[in-house]
Amino acid sequence: MSSPAADHLPVVARTTAARTDSSVPAPSGDAAPAPGTGPTGVRLARWALHLPDSDALAADLADWSGVAARPLFAALRGAVPADRAREVLGPKGLLAKEPATRLALCAVHRAFGLPRGRPAPVQVDPGVAVVVASNLGNVATVADVIRTVRRDGGRAVSPLTAPNASSNVVASTIALWYGFGGPNLMICSGSTAGLDAIDTAVRLLRARRATRVIVVGVEPADEVATDLHRAGRPAAPLRAGAACLVLTAEPAVAEPTVRPEPGPPAPYRLGPDGFDPAARWGDCYGAAGVVNVALAATLLAAGAPGPVSVGCGDDIDGRRAVRLDEGRRADR
Amino acid sequence: MPARLVASAVRTCLGDGAETFAALLAGRSGLGPLRHGDPAALNVAHGYHIDDGGARVWAASRWLADCARRAIAASGIDPAARRMVALVGTGLRELAAVEALASSGPRFPLHRLHFGDVLREAVPGLRTVLTLSNACSAGGHVLALAEDHLTLGEADAVLVCGTDATTESMLAMIGRVADQPTDAVRPFDADRQGVLLGDGAAAAVLVPDDDTRPAVARILATGLSCDAHHETAPSVTGIGRAMRDALSRAGRVASEVDLVVAHGTGTALNDPAECAALRQVLVAAGGDPVVTAVKGAVGHTSGAAAMVNLDVAARCLTSGQVPPVVGLRRPLPDGSGLRFATGPTALAPGLVQSEAFGFGGVNAVTLVESA
Repeated sequence: MSSPAADHLPVVARTTAARTDSSVPAPSGDAAPAPGTGPTGVRLARWALHLPDSDALAADLADWSGVAARPLFAALRGAVPADRAREVLGPKGLLAKEPATRLALCAVHRAFGLPRGRPAPVQVDPGVAVVVASNLGNVATVADVIRTVRRDGGRAVSPLTAPNASSNVVASTIALWYGFGGPNLMICSGSTAGLDAIDTAVRLLRARRATRVIVVGVEPADEVATDLHRAGRPAAPLRAGAACLVLTAEPAVAEPTVRPEPGPPAPYRLGPDGFDPAARWGDCYGAAGVVNVALAATLLAAGAPGPVSVGCGDDIDGRRAVRLDEGRRADR
Repeated sequence: MPARLVASAVRTCLGDGAETFAALLAGRSGLGPLRHGDPAALNVAHGYHIDDGGARVWAASRWLADCARRAIAASGIDPAARRMVALVGTGLRELAAVEALASSGPRFPLHRLHFGDVLREAVPGLRTVLTLSNACSAGGHVLALAEDHLTLGEADAVLVCGTDATTESMLAMIGRVADQPTDAVRPFDADRQGVLLGDGAAAAVLVPDDDTRPAVARILATGLSCDAHHETAPSVTGIGRAMRDALSRAGRVASEVDLVVAHGTGTALNDPAECAALRQVLVAAGGDPVVTAVKGAVGHTSGAAAMVNLDVAARCLTSGQVPPVVGLRRPLPDGSGLRFATGPTALAPGLVQSEAFGFGGVNAVTLVESA
């Protein structure tokens, strides 16, 4: 199953070093970042959204943005829930895989427009890095293991779940499935994780640790995750979903000007200070930054004027922002 | 571009960094009976625990805050006056709180699963904190990211941390795959039984190479790779790629490595794979390094392990002493051709290679020399 969003629609994502954390004052004087020292633009070569049950989000975003509804619905359609992941990924390799891992694989699979079935990479590509943003992927496994040990002893724990005890299982499983041998990172920094992952991906490209970075944001919405989330972020319900971005170090297709964030007013803002999917549809928590960038890219591809400002975060974890500029029409 | 290590604070079952290094040189181990969970149910009877009298839940945060405060104080850097970012590597985060909740324990604030809030409270003026959950090589991965921040001119200083407190769910997994409870970690031993967890935290302050303040060591580069090979088994090729990446980034050749502070977990699979990679990358290129490892003395400190290794590497450089591989009695067959430190060894290493490999095949190799 391939997604319309997986089409080659070049967009330049520009992140900047400027970030604001509301909980602490900004440094003054010589502590300010020097101009031009922040990460420069990188190209968003592919992306996909995998948000189950998101028709209402597509309709709401179309209504809010004035963009034609059809491409938004097309980008959000086909996102099966984790227990039906085999419809996207095929039947093999999913045994004992947690919902977060399944949703993440679905997003990657759709970003590359791959047919159903587990790919068989001929060789490992050391130039491709993976950066995943997620916080709650394995909390249900951890809770299950403890309850099983208490009730029936450790021998009753399935060894098949052993890999899931490690929080980075989502990132390492993506590497294994697709043969991505570059740096493999799992970012668990709370509500900023998504844009932290993109920031980190840009840095991996700039430091020449990779030529392509697969960025994935994902959260599950199982009982344990939902319970934890409700205690910390009661304003909006946790939503299961994933998004995937493929960032490349290829020369930017638009004019290479780096603008600090906040920059000139952007026509559209996605995130806490604009159209906020968390408040309007459901909270993707650690995945929100990646989901919001993928939504922004979908808006631009549907003809919305750029740039689009994208944010995530909260008062405790801090706030992050990036800016997405449209590529040249000729490249579309 | 290299970075300078200007402060390093460590906490293991053997004490702070100086106490840990002294114990290592004396061949002492911090092994003790398991203090968390039911040994019979977990099939794990021992651990390398920090006993600070505090609760198990939030211990990783507590030790992290302690190390971060000490490292910042030793560095003399005011985070509020510099562009400083903090990076925390961890394998288990505060999943102990999730375990407590699953055992009818109290609800807790969601943001306490990671370490941003606790670190900003411990180090006033700190703004950006990233929590990276990269299994047993998390510390090595945050070191690499710290070097990139400095090399790209995005920060004037980086606070690099690692922390982990033993969790019962991870103990259950270790016990689940062991026939008999492991009595001690024996890195590179022919009769090794497997790994045991150690409590540990570490914090270091890195600055750009042109910074003139006194430094503990010079970090040349950290190489990264992911095996993309197998769910749980390590890959010699993947580990070797991280070693070669580090050498390439540092602009050094394999024969220059005089000392390896190895990952050495004492498991059936890691130690032969690590030996094979060392032979392929270093020995085959004319290298003849001394190899040491610390996990027989401090256990596997998971997210802190790479930072503990770095602290030991730096102390080897400044003291001219290399500690023995505590727990090693008879080297494994795959170790032939490698010189394991069997007693305190006088050595003035030029280049030290410090290693960390994690679940999922995530590898980090750091090259260090004297400042």
